[in-house]
Amino acid sequence: MKENWWKIIGIVLMLFALIFGILTPLKPGLPSVFPFNGKAGNPLTVDIQGYNTHFDEAKEQRVWLKLGDYTLGSSKLEATSSNLLRATFLTPAMLPSKDSVVVFSLVTDNEIDGASVMPSAIFVKQSVIDSAGAAQVWPQNSLDNLHQQAGIMFPYRNVLGETIRNLYYHVSLWFAMFIILAVSIFYSIRYLNKGNMLDDHRSNALVSVGVLFGLLGCATGSIWAKHTWGTWWTTDVKLNMTAIFMLIYLAYFVLRGSFQDEIKRARLASVYNIFAFASIIPLLFVIPRLVDSLHPGNGGNPGFGGEDLDNTMRIAFYPAIIGMTLIGLWIADLRYRLAVLADKVLDRI
Amino acid sequence: MKISKIIIALFVFQCIILNNITAQSSNPDFMQSIGKIYVVVAVIVTVFLGIIIYLFSLQKKIKQLEDQIKD
Amino acid sequence: MQVLTEIIFLLKKELLLEWRQKYAIGGILLYVISTVFIVYISTGEIRPPVWNILFWIIVLFASVNAVVKSFVQENSQRQLYYYQLAHPIAIILSKMLYNIGLLFMLTVLSYLAMTLVYESPIKRVGLFWLTIFLGSVGFSITFTFVSAIASKADNSSTLMAILTFPIVIPILGTLMMLSANALGLIQDTAYVKDIYTLIAIDGILLGLAIILFPFLWRD
Repeated sequence: MKENWWKIIGIVLMLFALIFGILTPLKPGLPSVFPFNGKAGNPLTVDIQGYNTHFDEAKEQRVWLKLGDYTLGSSKLEATSSNLLRATFLTPAMLPSKDSVVVFSLVTDNEIDGASVMPSAIFVKQSVIDSAGAAQVWPQNSLDNLHQQAGIMFPYRNVLGETIRNLYYHVSLWFAMFIILAVSIFYSIRYLNKGNMLDDHRSNALVSVGVLFGLLGCATGSIWAKHTWGTWWTTDVKLNMTAIFMLIYLAYFVLRGSFQDEIKRARLASVYNIFAFASIIPLLFVIPRLVDSLHPGNGGNPGFGGEDLDNTMRIAFYPAIIGMTLIGLWIADLRYRLAVLADKVLDRI
Repeated sequence: MKISKIIIALFVFQCIILNNITAQSSNPDFMQSIGKIYVVVAVIVTVFLGIIIYLFSLQKKIKQLEDQIKD
Repeated sequence: MQVLTEIIFLLKKELLLEWRQKYAIGGILLYVISTVFIVYISTGEIRPPVWNILFWIIVLFASVNAVVKSFVQENSQRQLYYYQLAHPIAIILSKMLYNIGLLFMLTVLSYLAMTLVYESPIKRVGLFWLTIFLGSVGFSITFTFVSAIASKADNSSTLMAILTFPIVIPILGTLMMLSANALGLIQDTAYVKDIYTLIAIDGILLGLAIILFPFLWRD
């Protein structure tokens, strides 16, 4: 039992990430609005679709159209169900903007769900452009008396929805892969230094688990991308990087396979492992300059940092990374012990 | 050996089913329903199956070794 | 100092050997020309972005083919002779220097062949030549080192391609950015940063090659 403590920690952390990541509810959000366009001066009635909201139970339901500091409250509200709200706005004929089509955000607020925002929700067309006149008609209100949502919840993002939970099961795979491959580099270096065959076996086992995680990361990322971005594979930076990583390590296996002599194989594989890993690192700096990314944090997408990776998500995310890494190390350990045993058996024969 | 093949078949099968479910016109929104929660399910199942397949391949190697020892 | 004299000696020997078997280098040159010709026949007129891509692809393949022979095609007796004679660092550095020259010549030749059949789309001549030079340095360092690995295996020329292509992608990507700049395809004032990136990558790879090569050489 003594040498098993880290495996148990890995399992416990992974279980925690699984249970906490699945059971924690999402914050209320606004997936869609219909119709999403209207004309200035006409009354505008929209159906607001809510997610995890309690429109019908709320006593103080409020809705605004928002553009910068200008806000317009709804004149009439009618909740048909907990997730459906019909709001009517009496828009003035002039809008506080110089464009002919103005994009408003939609803000809802009640005492149960707290405030939710849907950015660029409604397009309003204006025929007369008079932003100076509009500035006097439109009320300015920075909306500071909003309700705060209490309790442990994950943030709601429009395209992602519940799939935001994939952060724990997809992204943690990548982190685990990087850590495992880095450990394999460590053993490669140690092999070259000391010449101990066991280090090479360890390095090989770690690379094979790293590749497993990489392939799984590709598969899961593909599924996720299909249902949020609409395609299985994009020419996205991080995807290309993965492809390069997989190519390198598949080449690593081919290289290993092409030698009969054990010592020669170990030495060359170690050298290639170090050289390839180091030469791929600059890609992290080069590629962002080549193309835009759909991934969080690039090309105007929200990043899983700052506001988007909030503290509630961290509670499950970091344990998921550590748990996944420990489980990977465990599998690699089994593989390593098997390789060592096979060596001994071959020696005896 | 046989079981690992079955698992691989299951894995492929699951991918095909996922694909079909999303493509089916009668129920196009299955993956999109309940805030796309089934995408999370699919991801977890994939990771689980992937690790299981790897473990089976490991078992195959152990079996080969055992056979060698017996001989 | 010892290493430096050894490098010069080995370089001289390398040139001499090349001079004796002229058909080898002639073969490489013919390779470039026939590739360009095939590309020309199958595409007809092309726009500058396509020119950029085709040019670097041709250079990439020609370079791999040119460098493979630096370790792969040397017989083991000669390698044993080197081993007794020179320091491993001198061997790898002399090979790299020689290959820089070879690849630079090769790239210039590809460029000339390309201008022969297509109109030259280059707007900033100085930047383009700098790019070509940095490219041959980067390719030479990577390919020479990997060919030292691949030479130990039997199926070395296939292995060479498999092992190098993923590694060379960062260099190739930066080169294409720089040359797109030189062709006036993109107006990017930050190209100096790309040049520094390329130099940094070359430096890292060179350092690693020098550290790791003695391990490869010990047979």
